[in-house]
Amino acid sequence: MIANASIESTPTSDVAKENVIAVRGLTKVFKDFWGRPKARAVDNVDFEVRRGEVFGLLGPNGSGKSTTVKMLLGLLYPTKGHIEVFGHSPRDVQTKSRIGYLPEESYLYRYLDSRETLDFFGNLFALPPDERRKRSEQLIEMVGLGKAHRRQVGEFSKGMQRRIGLAQALINDPDLVILDEPTAGLDPIGCREVKDLILALARRGKTVILSSHLLSDVEDVCDRVVIYYGGKIQAMGTLKELLATPDAVRITTPVLSRPVMEKVLSVIRQDVSEDKIRIDTPTQNLEGYFLGVVQKARQSEETSGATSGNRVAAYLRGDADTATASPQAKILERLTAPTVETAASPGTQSNMSTPVEAEQIKKLAALAQPATPTPSSSPEPDKVQKTEDLTKANEKLSSLLGKPK
Amino acid sequence: MQRLFAIAFLTLRAAVRFRLVLMLSGVLLAAVIILPLIIKDDGTARGFTQILLTYTLSVITAVLGFSTLWLACGTLAREMEEAQMQMIAVKPIPRWQVWVGKWLGILMLNAILLTASGIALYVLMQYRATRLPEAQQTILRNEVMVARGSVKEPIPNYEEDVQRFTKARIAAAEGQPLDINAVTEFARERIKAQMQIVPPGYLRQWQLDLGIAKPFLKDQPLFLRTKFNVAQVSEGGTYTGLWEIGPTNNTAAILRRQMSLASDTFHEIELPPNVFDENGIVHVRFINQNQTAVLFPLEDGMELLYREGGFGLNFARGLVIILCWLSLLAALGLAAATFLSFPVAAFVSIGVLIVGMSSGTFKQIVEEKGISGVDHETGRIEKQDIVDQIAVPAAAGILKVLNLIREFSPVEKLSTGRSISWAETARAILQIMLMMGGVFAAIGISVFARRELANVKTFY
Repeated sequence: MIANASIESTPTSDVAKENVIAVRGLTKVFKDFWGRPKARAVDNVDFEVRRGEVFGLLGPNGSGKSTTVKMLLGLLYPTKGHIEVFGHSPRDVQTKSRIGYLPEESYLYRYLDSRETLDFFGNLFALPPDERRKRSEQLIEMVGLGKAHRRQVGEFSKGMQRRIGLAQALINDPDLVILDEPTAGLDPIGCREVKDLILALARRGKTVILSSHLLSDVEDVCDRVVIYYGGKIQAMGTLKELLATPDAVRITTPVLSRPVMEKVLSVIRQDVSEDKIRIDTPTQNLEGYFLGVVQKARQSEETSGATSGNRVAAYLRGDADTATASPQAKILERLTAPTVETAASPGTQSNMSTPVEAEQIKKLAALAQPATPTPSSSPEPDKVQKTEDLTKANEKLSSLLGKPK
Repeated sequence: MQRLFAIAFLTLRAAVRFRLVLMLSGVLLAAVIILPLIIKDDGTARGFTQILLTYTLSVITAVLGFSTLWLACGTLAREMEEAQMQMIAVKPIPRWQVWVGKWLGILMLNAILLTASGIALYVLMQYRATRLPEAQQTILRNEVMVARGSVKEPIPNYEEDVQRFTKARIAAAEGQPLDINAVTEFARERIKAQMQIVPPGYLRQWQLDLGIAKPFLKDQPLFLRTKFNVAQVSEGGTYTGLWEIGPTNNTAAILRRQMSLASDTFHEIELPPNVFDENGIVHVRFINQNQTAVLFPLEDGMELLYREGGFGLNFARGLVIILCWLSLLAALGLAAATFLSFPVAAFVSIGVLIVGMSSGTFKQIVEEKGISGVDHETGRIEKQDIVDQIAVPAAAGILKVLNLIREFSPVEKLSTGRSISWAETARAILQIMLMMGGVFAAIGISVFARRELANVKTFY
């Protein structure tokens, strides 16, 4: 499955360098009724977002993330500085046809049901009636509201409102998706699905901006992040740049016999002092455990609320013509699509049993090299890391959906 | 247009889902059905129908007017306050289309409700008319449920006479100080009075030219609509006069009638067919047989009415003019809501509406030449202060603008069986909906397009 997926197309390296957003010296000062400065929400911020990136805006409440997002969308105007979205002003009407936006709260019309909501926003993108209907159906299925599509949005739980909010953000098959706290109010399965969807979108060359203060969300999906505090960028770079601890190495293996373990430790002790060596048993995280429990329960229980494990809308997958494949297989295929260099390199292993090994050999080789810090000015996503992320996403989604038959 | 209509239909859908349509339909239906049961009339079918039309249409207009203001302020201000507008603003729709879409949605809602209540009223009137005796039905069809054109004598230009009189007075003063403005005003009123007054025992003649309508009025009944004032009130409250109506060159065809009529109210006198001469002119002579002078106002003292068309289409045109008024209120409410919070916008809009309905006050300011210290002998302010100097041109300006709207009076015309022409309807659309509404639209769209929609704290 993984090797098959690796031959699918992904954005070319040229396209990957294209700037979707460029922000220079961005400053926003909120003023009172008399025009006196009240709060400096964003202060002299610079960053760029490139096509195909999942870009995270991290920061505590009130740090300036949402203000930045609203300036990117033309909902607030900068006091100083310059913003370009697809080379135009954020207030350019045509540019907005390429953007999807999920706000931090449900700002939807309470008196519309799911289908009417999507139809309305589809109309704002001037989609023809057939296309609106088709996309609405696919999106409602994708976000798991198929059983609640007749209910008005005002009756929805917060999580269901997030789901329909996410659906409306994708009705136009956007090139840039801006998600403000997308997992707020969602159950763990919903959170996982949103994160998987973000990865799926990124694989199709979509650019995703994720504003969140939930570190796990950002860690799971983002290629690069900026960390805000007090309206200023405190740190910026790829997750690897920011999180790597170059003075330590972790090796994970199946359980070893005592003699083997002693041998390994004795080799290590030759170079490293005893107090710096740590041995433990990996534990599953709560998210993984929870997903496993729900997966088992789903086989015997029914629910009238939002459902999970649904198919990504065909037009978002870009494979509407392969409608005969099973939904699970399609999602997995998409999510496990390869990186550019995997497809381009003739020496890459194509045998299904070998990619993991190959990855491990690559990692070991990399670890054996002296640590050379990556310049922070080079934001190109780390390709090995991306493959790891996708493998992880694939595993989690497999556990959620079950293996395709 | 797809985007614009999406906004319009969403506005309409909101009104339906929030049960505004249901509630308004109930109120309007009650107005159409209950009002006829409680209103008092003069006992005639004509009087009842006139009052029914006046009251019911006025209530319908008032109910829809206030609901329009409320809805217009709410639909935009609330959506901005509750941030739903942010979801629209990030989509590829220009903000002017959002504003116009909202306006169009309210207009559609009003058109639906006005049409429904108009049809209910029309059916009710027709039903009640069929239950009247034949003679009453004829009166109704000739005088109320009809579209009648009208002719008046053109008001002569007497300004030259005024100037001549003023110059003569100045010359007679032989260098004595004279308030020229006061003399001019006095001259104007005196000359106008001479044209209107019929002293005791005197005759006043009017020539009412049917013009191009003449060929269509052969064998058709005509109606003389008249009103007069008197200098001294008589004991009986009525005043006798000899009326002669008909061509001057054919005494046999002249209608002579002595009538005793009340002052200060309109009277309609049915004339036999073909009382006009070969040029289409109806000659009317009035001989004052009272001991007091009788004054026929130049503006509406004497008027000839004739059948121009059916009631149904006339009624529909009247509703279109009412719809124009409602569209203006929608534009007013939306314009206010672009920069004010919902309650403040509603308050301001209703305030503007009340000011707009106070045209009498502005007229008074202009006539009295100020707002303070009126001289009770002259009825004017003799010495203007700075406030008066500002208030008079401001009031005159507002009055000019208001007259663009107030010159249309569909309710009065329908209740008196007057014709509302297509030209008048088109003029109402142009003046009220496009010109006046356009001013509010320009203000509203301009502000809305510049707003930071995510900065809700800037709404006051």
